Formats: sequence, structure tokens, C-alpha cells
Amino acid sequence: MERKTIRIGHLFPELLNMYGDKGNILALKNRLVWRGIDAEVVTFGIEDEIDFSTLDIVLLGGGADREQEMVCKQLMSMKQALSNYIEDGGVMLALCGSYPMLGKTFQLQNETVSGLGILEIETEKTEKRHIGDCIVQTDITGSELLLVGFENHGGKTRIGELKPLGTVRHGFGNNGEDGSCGVIYKNLIGTYLHGPLLPKNPALTDYLLSCALKRKYGEDIALMPLADRAEEEAHDYIVKRFIKE
Amino acid sequence: MKFRLILAVWACKLAIFASRLLGKNGSSMPGQIALKICPKLLTLLSSQVKRDVIVVCGTNGKTTTNNLLAAMIASQGHQVVCNTLGANMIWGVCCAFCEKTNLFGKLSADFACLEVDEASTVKVFAHIKPDLMVVSNLFQDQLDRYGAVDLTLDYLRRALSLSPDTKLLLNADDPLVAQLGEKTERICYYMGVDEKVSEETGENNEGQFCGLCGSRLSYEYYHYSQLGKFSCSGCGFHRHELDFRVHTVTLSDGLNFSLDHQGQTAVFDVNYRGFYNVYNIALSYSAAVLALGSVPNYQAVLSAYKPQVGRMESFSIGEKTVILNLAKNPAGFNQALATVLGDKRKKNVLIGVNDNPSDGQDISWFWSVDFERLQDASVQNLVVTGFRADELMLRMKYAGFSEEKQVKTKDLKEAVAALVIGEAEVCYALVNYTVVFTMQEILKAMEGGAEHGA
Repeated sequence: MERKTIRIGHLFPELLNMYGDKGNILALKNRLVWRGIDAEVVTFGIEDEIDFSTLDIVLLGGGADREQEMVCKQLMSMKQALSNYIEDGGVMLALCGSYPMLGKTFQLQNETVSGLGILEIETEKTEKRHIGDCIVQTDITGSELLLVGFENHGGKTRIGELKPLGTVRHGFGNNGEDGSCGVIYKNLIGTYLHGPLLPKNPALTDYLLSCALKRKYGEDIALMPLADRAEEEAHDYIVKRFIKE
Repeated sequence: MKFRLILAVWACKLAIFASRLLGKNGSSMPGQIALKICPKLLTLLSSQVKRDVIVVCGTNGKTTTNNLLAAMIASQGHQVVCNTLGANMIWGVCCAFCEKTNLFGKLSADFACLEVDEASTVKVFAHIKPDLMVVSNLFQDQLDRYGAVDLTLDYLRRALSLSPDTKLLLNADDPLVAQLGEKTERICYYMGVDEKVSEETGENNEGQFCGLCGSRLSYEYYHYSQLGKFSCSGCGFHRHELDFRVHTVTLSDGLNFSLDHQGQTAVFDVNYRGFYNVYNIALSYSAAVLALGSVPNYQAVLSAYKPQVGRMESFSIGEKTVILNLAKNPAGFNQALATVLGDKRKKNVLIGVNDNPSDGQDISWFWSVDFERLQDASVQNLVVTGFRADELMLRMKYAGFSEEKQVKTKDLKEAVAALVIGEAEVCYALVNYTVVFTMQEILKAMEGGAEHGA
């Protein structure tokens, strides 16, 4: 059998490194390697050219305002390529400040500015930052499951007609009002849940990997189950803390 | 006004006394009461300081730097106001002043050495106009409480704008700190380590961008995090000439280094651990020299100094040495790991993280710590504990320690018990803020118990 390879593009970690996004890369990479699939992580600096057609998964993490602004400027220059990648079913995870940046407007230094406009979403300022643990119920994998994470954002995002990643069971989510959290468009997932989201949500990680494998190899590839004791305990601790059955 | 001041001082002293009776060290409530009664308290008391008011800021090492500075000044026979216990918001500063004030509202102090939480500087500088402000480093820290480093810099800039005559003593090696000395008429002094010290202190550095023009900084060498000999190709911003120049550093047996200032060389030889303590010691000495002209007995002061809870604090339990260290952000943890790696003995390691409000409730940061490096550290037993032990175990799994190689317990006593067994000669406990106090008590009790048993 031919060996499969997934190429993961980590965009601008030198700028978007606020919330331990390294954990997401570790999870994507290791969950491939543990299954005998090769994983190649390509790290891009802010001046680097990016050929999206060579990538199977793109990770865009969270940064502070100044850094987010530099990233937005740079991505603006490759907007069409990024948009094509997403429309073509390219897998992408945009977290924290990078999520609203994909929309028409977002918040920088307490001001509403133009985003990349790739998604039909809009973000305005919250009165008070939304900070805390967040639990989201989602059915993206075909069965109901809970995602756990931490959010810290000063923007309220409205996703209009788009499908949310899930519904908020604890915390704020997109805007603290309509119960939605994140967005899912084709194989792009955007969410305010930041930092090490993937290690403790292995089902979400595997979902992204499955999508990438299917796009690249054109068939459903069953992912071998892994021993996920540590993953499950880290996940369940937060669920049990906030959700009483 | 005098009457209000006296009443406030009385109330504060009484509240400090009462809270100590209850066995609390908390020095925020008495300060809150005092400020309510006399909002001008800090202005009235700080203006009575006969010589200099010195403020110490910086993400990591404030308490050590400030306490060393106060000890050096006090060793020359001066009376010093100092918030020794590290209560560094405006109320803690109030308490420190009230404690040195008599019942008639008269302060007897030649100097004040105050560590101030960066986010509190604007409030404090509204009342106090320091003669000197020391800024040691700026790292990402507890993002859910403080926000990004840019926000912290903004606080410091706003505070400084309230006090145009305050001189600055800056860590020249930290580009985030050193930019406070650019584009200003203010008198600034620079301290830095003028050589590449050791490979082991370095961590995986990500790029650093110039705070002034946004270009990428280049480095002749790194010390740790963003500290090093930097320069910016965009605007020419670079590591400043050093007024206090540290060189000839060795870390193998305690800390040894030399510090040049105006043609004089001071030699330091202390039994401290951790390269970052070179900065703490050199900054406190430099500030003391700026305040006093000279500090002849600095070496004796450094030897006599007793570190605060969990600053590489050492305990003897049975045959083993246990070293307890507080670390609460990636920079602090990476520096603690560098110290662990520098110790070549067989060792057990404990990592403990709570997520109480005072710890920061967002524990994302420990995914940024280079725990992978522990694989080369001859670790025998690895213990994970604290409220977030589950996620720590997962983090350590990704760092190359399978679940079977780890002991996980949220009970701190059980965790310590698991730390001190086995063949290891030395045990390191690296823990965050609310773990450190409980763990120190447990270790003290075990040390005492062992002595009684012997």
C-alpha cells in the first residue's frame, strides 16, 4: 500500500503564538504519525510565499492586535489564493483573532476594520471582553459530541446564514446572545476557542484529518482508533466542571 | 487632611494587625480601607521619603529584584519602605507605607523600594512620582488577566507620562523593555549581559518584531525568550550601550559574574540557581549604585538574602534534595527547565498547575513551554498535579512521556509523596502560584517530620 502524506501549513507562528497553538500542530501531526501516515509541517514566516495548492491543512492561530494586523495585511495580498483553497475544500482551522479576520469586518485596537471578506460574517465590539472556559455541542462528525476550550475575545460575531460549528453549552461563543459558536464552511472551521483546542478534542482533530485525507486521496479513509485516555480525561475534566448531568 | 491621614494610618495598622491574628498575610484589604479614608494617603506619605523612591516593574523576578535592592540599601544603615511580601497592587503599596508611619502620620524612611504590578502603575504613579523606575523584562503572562504584552507596555508608558522626571533603569537585552528609553528626553540607564552565556538557557525562539517600526529583529545572540543582543534593520533600533555591563558569567556552580560600571568592576559569586537571577541581582545592584553611589557589602547582602516562597527553595527530605520553584508563564517555566537541564543528576520532576483566578484561568500557556526538552534531563519519575493535572498529563504525553511514565494526582500531598521516591538524587517541583504555598507547607512539614524522626 502506498504511504500517505499530509502537509500541514502553520501560518505565521512567529506572530500568532499567543495561546499555545503549538499544541494544535502537535495533535494534527502526531495523530497522523501514530497511524502510520506521514505528516509534514511547513512553517511560514510573514515574508514567505505560500503555495496553498501544496497544502492539505492550514492552521491560523491567535495573536495580539498588532500581530493580527500585520497578518491581515499580508493575507490580503494572497486573498484570492486562500479563498480558492477554501472553496476547493481545503482544510483550514482559524482560531481566536484569526477567525473574525476572515469576515467582512472585525475588531482591531477597539476599532471596526475591514477583514479578508472570505466569509460572510461580521464582528462588532463587545462591551466587556468574553473570557472563560467554553463548551460547545456539535454534530459535525455525524454524532453529538462536546468540544471544550477557552475563549478570550472582544468581538461579537454574527455568522448570518452560515452553519455554526456548534451550540454553546457553557460560555459565550460567537456573541454571547444567539447560542452559536464558531462557523463551518466547506472544510474551514473558525472559532473563538483558542490555543490547544485539538489535543483535548481528538474527535475534532480526527475530523479535520479525515477531511484532508478524503480531499487528497479521493476516498473515505477509516482512521484507526487510538488510545486516548489522557485526551479523554483532559476533556472530561472541563465538561464535568461545568455541565451537571 | 492631616486628620484623615492619621485615621487612615491607624485603620491600616489595625487591619494589618487583625489579619495577621487571623493568620493571613494578605495585605490588600488594609490598604483598601486606608485609601477609602484618605485618598491622598500615598501622595502624603511618599513625599515624606527623605531620599529616593524606586519602583520595580517587570513580568518575572520583581519580588526578588525589589527585595534585594531594599536589602542592599538597608545594609548601608538607611530606613527603607518595601512591600516585601510582593503585594504589588496599589493597596499593597499603601500597607508598606503605613507600616513605616507612626501614629501621628509621620513616616520615617530614607528610601522606598516598591515593586508594582505593571497594570497598577498608572494608579500608583498618579500619587507617587518615583525618582527611579527599574524595568526588568516583559513576557506574555496570564492573558485572561493582563492581556497581551502591548497592553502592559501601554500601562507603563501612561504611568511614565504622569511622572516626567522619573529616571529609568532598563534591561537593555529586552527589546520590549528597552524601547521605553527611545524617543524620550528622560534620563535612562541600561544594564545588560554582554556575552553569549550558555546553550542551555536558550529555548526555541520565535521571531521578535521591532516595537518601533514592525520589522523583524535580528540577533547576534539570544539569552532567553526575546532577550539578547538585538538590532533592527528597519529603523536602526539596537541593544543600547551598557552603563552596567555584565560579563564573564558562569552558571556551573551557583552564579558567578562580573559587572562593570564607570571603570569599576564588581565580582559576584553567589549560591543562587537560574540564569535569570543574574538579571535580578545585576538590576538590584545597579539600582542601589544609582541611589547610593556605591554598595560596598553587596556580596554579604546577597549571601544573607532569604528568597521568598518557592524561588528555587531547597528542602531536605530523607536522602533527597527537593527544589521548589514558582513559575507562572512560558518564559518563567522555560527558565526553570533550563535550570533543571543544567543539573546533571538523576532527578524526579513534578509539574503542578492550578487555574484559580489568581493563577490565570486560561492554561493554554503551558502548551508553549518547551517540555520536550525534559526528555534529555535524566528524569526518573514525572508527576503531574494541580487542578489541571489531566491536561498536563496530555501535554507531557505530547512531550514524549507516555501515560504509563507519569503519576497523576490532584492531591498535592500524594503528588509530593510520589516525587520523593525512587533512585533520583534531586527532585524538582515546578508549580504555579496557588500551588506553591500549599506545596511549601507540605515540604516544610515533611522536612520537619524527618528531622524529628532522626
